[in-house]
Amino acid sequence: MFAAVWLRAPARARLHALRELYRRFFGENTPDARGRRLLAEWLSPAQRAQFDEHRYFDVVGCDTGKTYRIHYGTAANVHEIDGDGRAIMGWCFVPSGFLVPGDVMLAQKIALETDERGAIALANRFPPATHSEHFYRRPF
Amino acid sequence: MATQIVMDQTGDTRHEFDPGNAEALARAERRFRELTGAGFTAALRNGPGEVTRIRSFDPTAQETLFYPRLVGG
Repeated sequence: MFAAVWLRAPARARLHALRELYRRFFGENTPDARGRRLLAEWLSPAQRAQFDEHRYFDVVGCDTGKTYRIHYGTAANVHEIDGDGRAIMGWCFVPSGFLVPGDVMLAQKIALETDERGAIALANRFPPATHSEHFYRRPF
Repeated sequence: MATQIVMDQTGDTRHEFDPGNAEALARAERRFRELTGAGFTAALRNGPGEVTRIRSFDPTAQETLFYPRLVGG
């Protein structure tokens, strides 16, 4: 059935279908896509929903109970936020080794949820207004 | 099957092993020691979104994640 439909399709349509298949297969197997998949597997349902909608998610520090917002990115992407969701301080710490954004964000989540003091002790502070929301909302 | 997931520049590398196989378990424990000795942090997933750091090999862990040493950015 599939073969019959496939053979009747014009050459251009077949080529288009093949290109789409190739794009999807390799697009979903890039390091970036793999990092996003791993991140999604390890987020809580609430964090995942927040990330899907806003491209950031919030975590609660295990030592102080402070809330941090982790934006999609690989540097200067963690903000401590107040009760109204306003950024009050930026904290920059990343895993070494040029990892993809999903991996970096997951390492930051685990660090803040399991060893907040250790993560903050090695982080560099930055003013939260350094980057606008637009900066973090670049397409995947 | 249990899995050890190591973050790297490809996204991640997964090592699957049968915890009931003593040789595979020993290899997994050796990998754990090598990675944590090199500065990687190991973490387990306890439930949806719940994570625990571990400092010694857990032979019952179904999924262990390793990420490289954190540095100030």
